[in-house]
Amino acid sequence: METTLLAQSLLLALTTAGLYAAIASGLTLEFGVTGIINFAHGEFVMLGAFLTYFLYEAAGVPPLAGMLLAGLAMTALSWLVFDGFLSRVLKQDEHNQILATIGLSILLINLAMIAWTPDARVMHAPPLLPALQLGDVIVPGNNLVVLLVGIALYAGMIWFMRHTRQGLLLRLAADDPQLAVLAGVDVTRMFRLSFLIGGLTAGVSGGLVALILYVQPLVGVDLVMRAFAIVALGGLGSIGGALIGAVLLSAAENLTATFVPGGGSWGYGVAFVIIVLVLVVRPTGLFGSERRA
Amino acid sequence: MKTGLTRLLPYALILLVTLALVWIDKPFWIQLAIGVAITAITALAWDILSRTGQVSLGSAAFFGIGSYTLAIFEPLIGLTLAWIAVVVVCALAATLLGLLTLRLRRMYFAIATLGFALSMQVLVVVFPDLTGGSGGIAPPVLADGDPRWQLGLIGLLLLAAVALSDALLGLRFRPAFFMIRTKPELAAASGVPVVRMKIFAFIVSGVLIGLAGACYGGLYGYVVPTDVFTTNWSVLPLAIATLGGMDTTIGPLLGAIALKALEEVARSVIGGTGYQVVYGAVIILFVIAMPQGIVGLLRKAGTLAGRRTAAGEKKKERERHA
Amino acid sequence: MPDTASPDPTRRSAPPSGGAILAVEDLTVAFGGLKALDGVSLSIAAGEITGLIGPNGSGKSTLVNTVSGQLPVRGGRIRLHGGDVTGRRPDRIVRAGMARTYQIPRVPPTLTVEEVLSVPLLYAGRDRHRLPGLGDAASIAAFCGLGPLFRRFCGDLSVTDLRRLEIARALACAPDLLLLDEAMAGLSHEDSVEVMGLIRNVHGQGISIVIIEHLMRVITTLCHRVVVLNNGRLLAEGAPATVLADQAVREAYLGKGFAS
Repeated sequence: METTLLAQSLLLALTTAGLYAAIASGLTLEFGVTGIINFAHGEFVMLGAFLTYFLYEAAGVPPLAGMLLAGLAMTALSWLVFDGFLSRVLKQDEHNQILATIGLSILLINLAMIAWTPDARVMHAPPLLPALQLGDVIVPGNNLVVLLVGIALYAGMIWFMRHTRQGLLLRLAADDPQLAVLAGVDVTRMFRLSFLIGGLTAGVSGGLVALILYVQPLVGVDLVMRAFAIVALGGLGSIGGALIGAVLLSAAENLTATFVPGGGSWGYGVAFVIIVLVLVVRPTGLFGSERRA
Repeated sequence: MKTGLTRLLPYALILLVTLALVWIDKPFWIQLAIGVAITAITALAWDILSRTGQVSLGSAAFFGIGSYTLAIFEPLIGLTLAWIAVVVVCALAATLLGLLTLRLRRMYFAIATLGFALSMQVLVVVFPDLTGGSGGIAPPVLADGDPRWQLGLIGLLLLAAVALSDALLGLRFRPAFFMIRTKPELAAASGVPVVRMKIFAFIVSGVLIGLAGACYGGLYGYVVPTDVFTTNWSVLPLAIATLGGMDTTIGPLLGAIALKALEEVARSVIGGTGYQVVYGAVIILFVIAMPQGIVGLLRKAGTLAGRRTAAGEKKKERERHA
Repeated sequence: MPDTASPDPTRRSAPPSGGAILAVEDLTVAFGGLKALDGVSLSIAAGEITGLIGPNGSGKSTLVNTVSGQLPVRGGRIRLHGGDVTGRRPDRIVRAGMARTYQIPRVPPTLTVEEVLSVPLLYAGRDRHRLPGLGDAASIAAFCGLGPLFRRFCGDLSVTDLRRLEIARALACAPDLLLLDEAMAGLSHEDSVEVMGLIRNVHGQGISIVIIEHLMRVITTLCHRVVVLNNGRLLAEGAPATVLADQAVREAYLGKGFAS
């Protein structure tokens, strides 16, 4: 009985880890390249979730196609936001950088509340895959989809960073912006690119959120807070660390919820304790390398 | 640089407005003034901390700790000692957080303090016997629930915050704080005990925010964790101080008045849901159009001192490019 | 506090024999596995101007950062006035009488020259009147040629003036020993001559000085003695003329081909 519960808990954790990794890797890429923590990253996820939801409920667009469209829409919005606004704070003091994306986050949340009310909605899509039965343990089909799409997004990002010219330039801009400038790299373009990729992954992740969670203006806040913890675990700016961080966090969360009495109400508290502890013990993250702060 | 008259302006402003409102006794204006004063205290406290280079997103922790400490200790040791407990507990929490985050720079510091504030919210839920859990807790009602006296007391606390902020902008602290912010090694090489000064700023800031939180809890004699430990109380001080003008005393005051006034207007136009959209819009506009805040704008508008400061800021920006 | 040196207005000639003001014994400093300083022992004589030279990466800056308390010591002892200051915090070392300058001083741009100088005057905890006529910010600024800029914002100062300000800031710590980290780097010839004059005047106040410098001209004109580091070890020490003629020193600086 205990083992079944443990196995079920860990398997569900693994599927949410796919979602967390996709969200966190976008966040950590943006930070790694620009040095700015995008506090509005969760709101891009939220908008992606709403878009997938409405495309399905109102126009009958299949969720997988809806996700893709949401990703493209968030890429476009990221472009707008970066060129119209964020590019101007890149050279400002850190408090202004923090405030800029927090302001954007507040704006988007409240616009969503005005447009769609604060109530939570659930997308009534039939499972995209059959449930997976492993002995006594059942993994719902949509959780499998989340795991697969999450891993695909993550793997796609890793591939892009390692095997394309743009990815190489991104890494250069992240490691040493001054050297990148000397090497003739258009750093602003790289900064923009990191936000476009971040927006794409956030939009698609939003579709995943609509699939297994609920759709609500504040849903991005919960997720981005967890993403902070993951990024702290994996190292700010380290995409590789994001996956390990995501697995560790969702395992820790699911285990507390399952085995600690009343642990379910701790919510993302587990995440914050992790943030504080990790940053204090090892500011560059458990798996991160030395990087500019 | 600064004439005696402008130095006295914040004190006169607070005294006059408080006395006038107590005299007129219109509930709406008194409540508004209380809201402005409490946020102004937190913003001043945030600004004091930021002068040592510690850009915090953890104000909510102290705000909540203040109200919870007052509520938990009052039945045990009486009202007076409970207020002293607020000061002591907040000072201890500030020392702890300050030491933990001592080596963290920039964004790492911001994220760690944010994590600390949100962990507090969880701590409350984990120990429901002591804290009342998510159901909330009942701090003693401030001034027997008379709004005029409440405003008077909170006004006094604001005056104290203004005086502290001014004292820390004096020759004894301002240059040392700024040096710690720009290059801690240089401050240490000038004999400044950097760690002690940073913790000192953290304690002053944390205690002020904690006292503001205790007052807030005492307004109605009832708080729930999501009331005081919410991220709002971490973001507001940062937003207000930045919009008003950092490294000044008048800046956070002006910022608090402007933002609260705007909030009231938005609440009546947009309604209870989503009115905070104006916060987002204003923050974005300010960050783009006037990153030095209201005070920066006023300075630019006139005086020679303004031109010099602007040149200093330009230089600062050039350094950031390098 | 022993009286370590009397004012020495006669510039380089005949340094007073006040014994060692700073003694470093078997000092080892490492970053990870890499030893930046490997068992260095040397002493700095009171009242002298000592030049600390060596190729890039030889450990000069590490030595200055370590004795001023900003890097942890792995092994060995640092004594100031004979008292052990190993592992002391930087601000305590300033109190004990050793000040240092930074090659690239980043001062807050919104502070005035006066305000920057007020920091060591308030915090260094030294007797303000130890240096006659240099007990307040205005006279220190004037001494360093910053008199007209006293109320200017640091953000508006030129590179040369920032160097002067950095020396003034260290002087405001009222030190017995002053470590100057490449005070002349990047300055024009005229400006570096001026700064050299300023260093002489500081020495004239009875302050012992250690200069890290790449320009041999500076070393030969200013210094009574030279210490050479190479690969984290002491390579040579002695009078400038003797040391600079030394075969090993020339090899370290110029490579084997040139030296012979």
